[in-house]
Amino acid sequence: MDQITFKRVFKWGFINFFRNGVVSVATVLVMSLSIFMIGVVVMGSIFLNGVITSLEEKVDISVYFKQDAAESDILSMQKSLEGLPEVKDVKYVSRDDALKIFTLRHQGDTVVLQSLQVVEDNPFSASLEVRAKDTSKYEAISKFLENSPQAPLIATDESGQKKITFRQNQAAIEKLASILSTARLMGFVASLILALIAILVAYTTVRLAIYNSKEEISVMQLVGASHAFIRGPFLVEGVMYGLLSSIFTIAIFYPIFWWTGKKTASIFGGLNVFSYFTANILEISLILITTGFILGLLSSAFAVRKYLRV
Amino acid sequence: MIYFDKVSKIYSPTSIALEDVSFTIKPSEFISIVGPSGAGKSTLLKMLLAEEHPTSGTVFFESHDVNKMTRTELPKIRRRMGVVFQDYRLLPHKTAYENIAFALEAGGASEEDIERDVPQVLDIVGLTDKSWHFPGQLSGGEKQRVAIARAIVSKPDVVIADEPTGNLDPTNTHDIINLLQKINDMNNTIVILATHDKEVINSLRRRVVTLDKGKVVRDEEKGKYVL
Repeated sequence: MDQITFKRVFKWGFINFFRNGVVSVATVLVMSLSIFMIGVVVMGSIFLNGVITSLEEKVDISVYFKQDAAESDILSMQKSLEGLPEVKDVKYVSRDDALKIFTLRHQGDTVVLQSLQVVEDNPFSASLEVRAKDTSKYEAISKFLENSPQAPLIATDESGQKKITFRQNQAAIEKLASILSTARLMGFVASLILALIAILVAYTTVRLAIYNSKEEISVMQLVGASHAFIRGPFLVEGVMYGLLSSIFTIAIFYPIFWWTGKKTASIFGGLNVFSYFTANILEISLILITTGFILGLLSSAFAVRKYLRV
Repeated sequence: MIYFDKVSKIYSPTSIALEDVSFTIKPSEFISIVGPSGAGKSTLLKMLLAEEHPTSGTVFFESHDVNKMTRTELPKIRRRMGVVFQDYRLLPHKTAYENIAFALEAGGASEEDIERDVPQVLDIVGLTDKSWHFPGQLSGGEKQRVAIARAIVSKPDVVIADEPTGNLDPTNTHDIINLLQKINDMNNTIVILATHDKEVINSLRRRVVTLDKGKVVRDEEKGKYVL
């Protein structure tokens, strides 16, 4: 395609977009709905991931040691735990640290602090806080602890059970792990279905818009216009539909997420959708604009192809 | 030169549009194809435009078999043929001027050529004052004159007019036929006129090919409409 034809293709794409006024506006609105859906899917998965990750962060297990356990033994256990592939990090809380944390937490609660003074000696045990890379790995880590050479150092309760918090919370942790993995899977499947519907809606809309020009396309062919010269303006129009729809969608996302964030932050334990939106606004805009561009371009390319057959 | 060589178009055994049609059109000829509705006039013209393909036989435009053209060759051949239809077939979202310019743009003409040629043909068809009107704002006769202007603006070798006066009153019919004659006289452009209008044919006194039920039944120089 030479330069002058290229220029004309753009010129006619723009002019047709404006002269088709009502059809263009309707197409942009319906396409915005599609892109809105895709945007919600993208935001939803970002947010769902955030919620799941923050829940996972909260899960850990602590191992409490006997009062007389030597620090060096505990540290060597920490070392061997850190060597496990399932372990994300291990934090050592010494007896003094535990005391400090306790007093800090009960600042102002004189009764508790006084009773602590009565005890005189530091009543707390040293502990290791272990976080796994994956919530399903706690079982394995717990087993490892119970069978490790330093296991005799681990404090036991009245029934002789080792004081590893996993055992107390085992049911809750396992349940959470299975809920989280199901949530991830369902989120993925739902996104896929929604995105597919959105793409089909967008394609059908653009096709309907071009269906109006079916006659025109055949006349253009009879007048001797090449396929590229006929198709070009429709592609430009399609891209304009797509880009305008994405921009429109991003613009309405802003107030919508602001409002939703305000209303739902308490449900999600303080996580705000809006702050995820603003934090990822560049990525989201880029995804939506690219989606709009490709969707508009491909939809009109396919639609025109159908009528370019005289 | 245009040559129809034993052209047949058979949709089904009971629906035969054209049967073994052969004739030649010489350069600068004004030829009328006449016959009742359904005689195969439009089908014949569609084959020349390669809008439809013959079941058997060949249509030559100069040395080209138009039905064997590739997707990129065909537009080039079509730019050498101007087409006028009964229902005008203007592009509804383009003004009269833009409709005419489109034919030139499609051929990659320069802006200077377009700015020179379009007003010229608008003048020939007498529509200079309506050049910025959209087809919806023009009368039937005016639309057909825009269509003719579009057909001739790229200085084609042949103008194909398929029932161009079918929707027009006698005055407009007269104007359109005069225009076609003028085009034929001015540039030695071949004009192929398909019509079933007896008055038109009898006033022309040019070559007439008569089709009936898909066959050529008469081919006369300075013919009359006889059926």
